[in-house]
Amino acid sequence: MSTFPEYINFKFGIYVETFVEWLLDHYMGFFEGIGDGVLWFLLKTDSFLQWLPWWALVALVFFLGWKYKKLSAGILYAVLLTSIGVFGLWELTMSTLSIVLTAVIISLLIGLPVGIWMAYNARVELIIKPILDAMQTMPSFVYLIPAMMFFGLGMVPAVFATLVYALPPVIRLTDLGIQSVSKEMVEAAHSFGSSSWQTLFKVQLPQALPTIMTGINQTTMMALSMVVICSMIGVKGLGYEVLAGISRVEIARAFDAGLSIVILAIIIDRISQGVANKYKIPEQ
Amino acid sequence: MISVKKGKRILTIILGMLLVGIMLVSVGCSGDGEKTPGEVEKPKLVFADAGWDSMCFHNDVAKLIIENGYGYETEITPGTTMVTFEGLKRGDIDIYMETWTDNINTYQEALEKEDIKEIAINYSDDRQGFYVPTYVIKGDLERGIEPLAPDLKTIEDLPTYWEIFRDPEDKTKGRIYGAIPGWSVDEIMSEKVKNYGLDETYNLFRPGSETALSTSLMKAVKEGEPWVGYYWEPSWIVGKYDMTYIEEPVYDEMKWNDGYVCTIPSVKITVCVSNEMFNKAPDVVEFLKKYQTSSLLTSEALMYMHDNDVDTLEAAKWFLRENKDLWTKWVPEDVVTKVEEAIK
Repeated sequence: MSTFPEYINFKFGIYVETFVEWLLDHYMGFFEGIGDGVLWFLLKTDSFLQWLPWWALVALVFFLGWKYKKLSAGILYAVLLTSIGVFGLWELTMSTLSIVLTAVIISLLIGLPVGIWMAYNARVELIIKPILDAMQTMPSFVYLIPAMMFFGLGMVPAVFATLVYALPPVIRLTDLGIQSVSKEMVEAAHSFGSSSWQTLFKVQLPQALPTIMTGINQTTMMALSMVVICSMIGVKGLGYEVLAGISRVEIARAFDAGLSIVILAIIIDRISQGVANKYKIPEQ
Repeated sequence: MISVKKGKRILTIILGMLLVGIMLVSVGCSGDGEKTPGEVEKPKLVFADAGWDSMCFHNDVAKLIIENGYGYETEITPGTTMVTFEGLKRGDIDIYMETWTDNINTYQEALEKEDIKEIAINYSDDRQGFYVPTYVIKGDLERGIEPLAPDLKTIEDLPTYWEIFRDPEDKTKGRIYGAIPGWSVDEIMSEKVKNYGLDETYNLFRPGSETALSTSLMKAVKEGEPWVGYYWEPSWIVGKYDMTYIEEPVYDEMKWNDGYVCTIPSVKITVCVSNEMFNKAPDVVEFLKKYQTSSLLTSEALMYMHDNDVDTLEAAKWFLRENKDLWTKWVPEDVVTKVEEAIK
């Protein structure tokens, strides 16, 4: 067996740990402020979704499915969503949904500007791309522990962890969408005297919208796939049901909750894809 | 032109020789670890690692003694409690150093069917229940922490103090941390919260994983904030931080059956081996039969491990150095000398 020489030895993690400790000692207030803000938003979303009558949400899903896909799709989604309620998991689904929604909204707030910036500046792109790769491949428990140290246990670090994983697609696809708007079109806009902002908002962004919508769709899917991980830091919801089910070898319990996650994913995926397709510019 | 060509050829030859040289040297190096011929091949013994610190620690203590003193090779198989215990029954795993008998629901059955052999009680003075960091009760002058709950002693005092443990996600109640899903104590703790009436003033917060539970406590201790929740001894947390156990009524079978409203009885934590062990390594079985530690000793070792940022193997070496009187009674003289040589 070949061994790596022991004298070439340098460990990186210890610096990260020291940095985290330093942040904790000096900037705790800052993180608490962010945490409180996110928590406020989360609780509002959660109480809104819990307040919303179940039939209202079913009707909304039916309507969206009908409008953006077709009538049969609307009926199917409504039936699927109702079946979550039939499993007795409605409340848990709503708390899961509130975390996913919060994470997606924050993703858009951060992701869209960063994506635009990357599209405009090659150097920024060079720096951010490897960071995005790292965010998507780093095993989540590695950053969950610092997240818990910063934000305590519960929904806030869960949103943070979801962000780390779900943010990259919307950034990548915004960048891609804007970059693939044809040069001629941008030049034409400039030659008609539009300012850079006008070019961005009236030409590039509308042209890139289908790609950006795909990014949002991907981000939402990834946020949903994090719910079981989030339950490991104390988030109530469907993820916890799965976790409790598998750790007690209760196949039935885990399966109902897992199936509900799948249903949620299908509905969100199909509807947001339908929306994205509506914005697609017809080929000439 | 010719000289350049020649130079290139010479360079290639030199590089080639260097490469061969490096390969030979490295092969020579790796040969060092091989056994000297003539030594009798002993079977490899497999430990189970069900994933918690104290078990890893006891594995390493036994491993140090078995490898150095008895000359067996060992291997550690990680997995969940259920998976590793099944492995022990099938004989894929030989030694289970810490069997939390009450937490494995197939344990009694396995004993009766003689799938496994219980050969020793590792310790039985463990404790599980609700804990608070002691500064919550007594304060901490050095760190300037006021005693927020000076009269907190028993579980009945908890409702009075719910406000200091306020749940950030629901400000109308306190937050009490529960046990980890999948441990049978999880259900017991949640029943307790209900039956003691704690749920009127507290939300039971299920942390989801052992890491999450310990991180929440570490964060609280770092900031000097109040914290109340499930913990158990031995664990490095209770060894490291000054924790106070919140008293419950003395164990009583009636009360226990009536919704667990009393102290959780200690779990018997045993050393088990597979049936094959008796043929494979009878001398090791003799040693393991005498293996006995205590909750306190285990906690101390785990605290040493955490304070000095070392792994369980280092902690095991430290334990063997510190507690010579204890372990030298478990093994014959010649083994003692060999192990002492190894842990110097």
